[in-house]
Amino acid sequence: MNQSRMKKISMSFGILGVVAVLILHYMVFFWVPTESSMGIVQRIFYIHVPSWWVAFISFGIVALCSGVYLWLGDDRLDAAAVTAAEGGMIFTTIGLLTGPLWGKIAWGAWWTWEPRLTLALLLWFIYLGYFLVRRSALNPEKGKRLAAVVGIIGVLDIPLIHVSVSWLRSLHPEAVVLNPDGPTLDGSMLATLLVGLLAYSLIFVCLFTVRYATELIDRGTQIQDV
Amino acid sequence: MKYLSVVWTVARKDLLVEIRTLERLVAMSAFSVLIGVLFHFAIDTSLIRAQTIAPSLIWMASIFAGMLGLGRIYIIEDENRALSGLLQSPISLDALYFGKVLSNFIILLSIVVLILFVFAVFFNLSFPGNLLGWTSLSAVVFLGVLSFVSIMTLLSAVAVNNTMGESIIPVLVFPLLVPTVIHTVTATNRIFANRPFVEIEGNLRILAAIVLIFLVAGASLFRFVIEE
Repeated sequence: MNQSRMKKISMSFGILGVVAVLILHYMVFFWVPTESSMGIVQRIFYIHVPSWWVAFISFGIVALCSGVYLWLGDDRLDAAAVTAAEGGMIFTTIGLLTGPLWGKIAWGAWWTWEPRLTLALLLWFIYLGYFLVRRSALNPEKGKRLAAVVGIIGVLDIPLIHVSVSWLRSLHPEAVVLNPDGPTLDGSMLATLLVGLLAYSLIFVCLFTVRYATELIDRGTQIQDV
Repeated sequence: MKYLSVVWTVARKDLLVEIRTLERLVAMSAFSVLIGVLFHFAIDTSLIRAQTIAPSLIWMASIFAGMLGLGRIYIIEDENRALSGLLQSPISLDALYFGKVLSNFIILLSIVVLILFVFAVFFNLSFPGNLLGWTSLSAVVFLGVLSFVSIMTLLSAVAVNNTMGESIIPVLVFPLLVPTVIHTVTATNRIFANRPFVEIEGNLRILAAIVLIFLVAGASLFRFVIEE
């Protein structure tokens, strides 16, 4: 894949993403009905959930690429892992900022030590460690290996953190889409959420491809070899 | 058997170095007692009953003492190139990892036992009055320390040849330790409150799973953090 083709792909995803985000905001502000119990603040849901969706996908990519990087030693996998981690950090931060805005109105507190909130905060710190390890290593090659180890351990720890913190009482709304009894969300709300998921995914793919290409250029790797 | 003797040789070497210098043991013991003194004066006993939160403080002190003592293990070894010698020796790296886990476990376990007794005196805690209580407490201490040591032994190696030194370790280790802290603290609190074993059993099971995951991940990933 050459550089101009990669640029076209990222541009296409970027344009589609921006259009989807505009449609999403129209739906959030003018189309979708207001939720009966939480009121207008529930509309943050359509930004909050898609940002976590993308954050978890990107952390999955980090763990996968890190694992295969340690196995094969291919520098492009490390570039993909660091690119996904950067995207994950951005969307985790969006999730962490939108959550308390919603929580303050819905629960009456900016923050509670609820399982999913705790997991989100810890994930943010695990990936802060991922970047610190990479940047502070005197040997850059070792820095990549150490970051890959942190990425893998971080993902392995996610279920442990979730199970452990779930011992505390959960305040967080139950899953309304991936519910074992089927989605419990109103049809228009579900449609808005799906547009949100699509929009954020497109934006993520655009950011990922642009950042991945620049990362390879920074490393002096030939994009033609990809 | 040969594998276990290699593990023991590595652990014995680390323990001999520690016994000859006593650097880490003295620093960790002094820290443990002094942090108990600070914790005691940090609690307003007119508002909070010290006995209620003392079991939680036992684990906080243990983790901080562990950070102090285990954070520098590879830096000390790297200073006189002993680490290079160790890596050139014909032993498998996972045996090296388990050897270091064993030596660190013995050192930290001795410190945690000291913390338990010192805090029991400082905060007027009553130890369990029956065998089941003592067995539960021993199991929690065993699994809690092993869980902490297994992840510290892996990630302390990050501090070698790193511009941040050992100050990077808490950022890496603390988020990963949250499950361990939840279950050790919950179980210890319940043991000191003489609650029935069924209330502790679940914590022990999850702690055992955490230990298993950390040990397997540590042994598999150790070579990537230790090799230059």
